[in-house]
Amino acid sequence: MRILAVMENTFKETIRNRILLNILVFAIGLILLSLVIGDWSLGEQSKVIKDFGLSAMSIFGLLIAVFIGIRLMVQELEGRTIYIIASKPVHRWEIVTGKYLGLALTLAVNVLLMTAALLAAGWLMEGTIDTALLPAVLLIYIEILLIVAFSLFFSSFSSPVLSAIFTLTVFISGHLSGYLHDFVKLYEDRGFHWLLKLIYYVVPNLEKLNIKLAVVEHLKTGPHAVVLGAVYGLSYVLLLLIFTSLIFEKKDLK
Amino acid sequence: MKQHALEISNLRKMYKGELGEKDVLGLDDLTLTIPRGEVFAFIGPNGAGKTTTIKLLMRLMFPTSGSVMILGESNASRRAMRKIGFLPEQPRMYEYLTGREFLDFTGRLFSLGKEERLKRSDLLLKRVGLGERGNALIRSYSRGMMQRLGLAQALMNEPEIVILDEPMASLDPVGRKDFRDTILQLKAQGKTIFFSSHILSDAEMIADRVGILKEGRLQRVADLEALTDLGTSAVEVTFRLDQEKQGRIGDSWQKVAVQGGQVMIRLPDRKQLSRLLSDVQSWEGEIISVVPVRQSLEDIFMAELGR
Repeated sequence: MRILAVMENTFKETIRNRILLNILVFAIGLILLSLVIGDWSLGEQSKVIKDFGLSAMSIFGLLIAVFIGIRLMVQELEGRTIYIIASKPVHRWEIVTGKYLGLALTLAVNVLLMTAALLAAGWLMEGTIDTALLPAVLLIYIEILLIVAFSLFFSSFSSPVLSAIFTLTVFISGHLSGYLHDFVKLYEDRGFHWLLKLIYYVVPNLEKLNIKLAVVEHLKTGPHAVVLGAVYGLSYVLLLLIFTSLIFEKKDLK
Repeated sequence: MKQHALEISNLRKMYKGELGEKDVLGLDDLTLTIPRGEVFAFIGPNGAGKTTTIKLLMRLMFPTSGSVMILGESNASRRAMRKIGFLPEQPRMYEYLTGREFLDFTGRLFSLGKEERLKRSDLLLKRVGLGERGNALIRSYSRGMMQRLGLAQALMNEPEIVILDEPMASLDPVGRKDFRDTILQLKAQGKTIFFSSHILSDAEMIADRVGILKEGRLQRVADLEALTDLGTSAVEVTFRLDQEKQGRIGDSWQKVAVQGGQVMIRLPDRKQLSRLLSDVQSWEGEIISVVPVRQSLEDIFMAELGR
């Protein structure tokens, strides 16, 4: 019940936050803009719309995740509202979990609205609703959940700017994981080899959550890839929440 | 054995210094026992360690060493925390909520049922004078209203102990009086109140005991009545005496003030009183008042701080 209370409160906060609404409106506008761009690409309209739409969803999802993940934690700590909730008979891990679930709910609503816009754009173009996009959307949502877990984790011990830099670094290196693996092999005898290896093992391989190209090109992905990707992403989320809670549990709220 | 409301033992807090800087002492070896039903004021200048102490009590920060017991239980236990109501210094609340929504939220953190939350929110909003503004967004509240709402949320769980950090700092005179009245009502209900303040007159009016803190160290704990009565061996005598007759006083008595036909003389020892009264009679003066000199909390506070 206490987790639920924190979750609902976090959800209310993000929903009543107008900046977030602006980003969402912009994202949906951009997805609908893909209709125009689709018109320019002879014969490839439908592919362009889906590719553009899914990419816009991914990028804006990321922006929202980093923005609200860091902002919420910073506001709670620097705005001193934390004194009131942390002094109640509530475990600190309950606060972290409730906040995270509230963010996850907000992001789910965002992704749902963006998906509706994307499907509507596809329907306007083709007259059908392409449900084959949904597994890609699910994995985009899980990637967003993972990124927001990272932003919450980083902001539990570092400044907002550093947290944003760290989270974006995770996002970029997570998508370059394949190259990192090659670099680890290539520079096996170099002094910085251990650093590459550490990044490769610690940072999640976000390409496991990227099946955008496959669904747009109607390549076979199979349920395995989606399930494995989801389990992979959610395991990271769980680990990050445990680490964030452990840090937060011992944190002096000055 | 009688159970105390708060038992603070050898509480110490060192703040880690920034890179290359020394650690800073926040609180040094604080040992203090607050019996049930007492109003205890924790006073000291800014930076003395009042807020540090309160944050350690509320487990918002963790001590370097020492312990805190609340009604016989460690403050690490959630059961102990259920019995406490807390108002932080200059409280900040979620501005996107209404006052009523905020109270409901805090009630949920205490695992109160919906009906109970509704009932208590209504009651508390009225009690702190926000009955009309309960459905307005906190964003529209003044600082004084925030403070009132802060008090309401601190009472949401009907606590046995109320801990308030600088509760009257941002209130106007009417608000301060209301706040003092509320504290006295809580005392009448048998609650224990521990509050910090740098407004000495407020502390003097409502506290049973005071603790004076300076640079992280507790200087003195004393019963307020005994403390302020320390100076009662001195008396101030005011009498009326025509200006042309005032030369008769001479140097035998120390005049504190002379204003027109009124003279005030301070006697360091009340044993001299009968001699002065007979002198005034012989000068054909008329006694207006004889007042024992009480040390104010401020006098004592300044003396403790060495000023």
